[in-house]
Amino acid sequence: MKLYEKTAAELSEMLKSKECSAVEILNDVNSRISDVEDKVGAYVTLNEKAVESAKKVDQAIANGETVHPLAGIPIGIKDNISTKGLRTTCSSKMLENYVPPFNATVVDKINDAGMVITGKMNMDEFAMGSSTETSHIHLTHNPHNLECVPGGSSGGSAAAVAAGEAIVTLGSDTGGSIRQPAALCGVVGFKPTYGSVSRYGLVAFASSLDQIGSFGKSVKDVAMVQSTICGYDKLDATSEYIENSNYASNLKESVRGLRVGVPDEYFGEGIDDDAKESVYNAIKTLEANGAEIKKISLPSTEFAINTYYIIASAEASSNLARFDGVKYGYRAKDYDGLIDMYEKTRSEGFGDEVKRRIMLGTFVLSSGFYDAYYKKAKLVQRKISQEFSSAFEGCDIIATPTVPSSAFKIGENIGDPLKMYYSDVCTVTVNIAGLPAISLPCGKNKDGMPFGLQFIGDKFKEQTIFDAANAYEKICGGFNAIAKL
Amino acid sequence: MSIDIKHIAKLSRLRIEDDKLAKFEKDMEAIVAMVDRLPNIEEELCLDASNAMKLREDKAVPNKFTRDELIANAPKVQAGCLVVPKTVE
Repeated sequence: MKLYEKTAAELSEMLKSKECSAVEILNDVNSRISDVEDKVGAYVTLNEKAVESAKKVDQAIANGETVHPLAGIPIGIKDNISTKGLRTTCSSKMLENYVPPFNATVVDKINDAGMVITGKMNMDEFAMGSSTETSHIHLTHNPHNLECVPGGSSGGSAAAVAAGEAIVTLGSDTGGSIRQPAALCGVVGFKPTYGSVSRYGLVAFASSLDQIGSFGKSVKDVAMVQSTICGYDKLDATSEYIENSNYASNLKESVRGLRVGVPDEYFGEGIDDDAKESVYNAIKTLEANGAEIKKISLPSTEFAINTYYIIASAEASSNLARFDGVKYGYRAKDYDGLIDMYEKTRSEGFGDEVKRRIMLGTFVLSSGFYDAYYKKAKLVQRKISQEFSSAFEGCDIIATPTVPSSAFKIGENIGDPLKMYYSDVCTVTVNIAGLPAISLPCGKNKDGMPFGLQFIGDKFKEQTIFDAANAYEKICGGFNAIAKL
Repeated sequence: MSIDIKHIAKLSRLRIEDDKLAKFEKDMEAIVAMVDRLPNIEEELCLDASNAMKLREDKAVPNKFTRDELIANAPKVQAGCLVVPKTVE
């Protein structure tokens, strides 16, 4: 087995027992990148200074220092997370040459842990999309079938883990942007509780929904990353103190007694039969291993997509107003006065999907429409949160499909925004309610394309999710997350 | 509902090319028709106290960036200042 095929937890043990060095791990991942990146297209920018970080870790180990469990582990960072001195484009023409003067808090934490940043991962432009096709930089291909999308918006982060081009990666999830691509690429993707990870340095899309999370080949790997990046940060007023954040050290291996809620609303119209079947089979497996399965109802789910696109676009229209061609980023070449400069800069710098979302947000917040859209959506948001709270009185986790179908072909949905929006139908509720959730591989369709099983937990119940997910992984005998390329 | 794309674009400081107007209009109308379907909940919107932000103390702290670092990404700089089109006659 090659080093790039191993999990972070396995490599961590190998480093500790000096079976391999951090430089050897990085070299193996880099040679995998050389072999497959042309086909996959997961990266926007490679970090040329990665080897320096790896050497530092090897030196520390040679000196007998105690290093962080993730020291020396190669990690890819989604290209909307600021990395000092390393280009951060958001896969947009607007930020094509932008080099941040500071690190996001999560990047500081990753550096402090001695993790080795391999580079920046491709994404939908400003994280707006579900297929990574709106990237201005290039397409990313699904490692399980190169003609298919990897999902999005964190498509590069998901594809890199499935292709062995990084051991773990960071993504961001506003409406499913970690869990949906994780499901479509057959890897593990975790979206933490809103507030558990600092958003400082994450380029804002919808600030009340955005959350940074991680991808890996195993539950333990994402639990290790979450333990490393979570916690209060004075630079993010919405971040929270986390007690007992060492999630990965004592993961449970049994689901005996676990109360699993199964909401009918997530298995209805629009969810493909084979996606449903794979999730029902997973639920039967949980039951056969001692979990207690309970039928629950989350009736406002039918309004989730509508609510999400109103709230997310409203916030995006405001957040993206900062891109004006003055302080940083793209500026149009020729213009006549200030307003002309703003309009030309923004029209040339943003792609069509970003323009659509900014205009939708502007529309729902505009005079005369605010009450009919934004206010209504905020009320539905509260209702959706209340329904989840009531559900969690009777169960520990909620199990649903992550995606309504397996990965679609590149080009298949890009001309139809509504069809694209519906690929988030199983994931947006979690962001609306600020909950933590994980996507786990749960079988494949007849063409070998993966499906995802989603476990949703109550606020700050990360440990419950990791325990349940780890037990499911053990019952399955592991996930075999590396795609054959 | 018909959507005046040119007006919305203007409010958003965007311009949509003429050959794309029809497609944007059709897509936006479909999207607005979708998000339009929301229930009427007869309740008041209020701030959720359990989700209150922890605002930091209003205290001056030294800036950790140099001027050069801050303007390094600006599209146009002259004598250490950002250059913008003339706005006052």
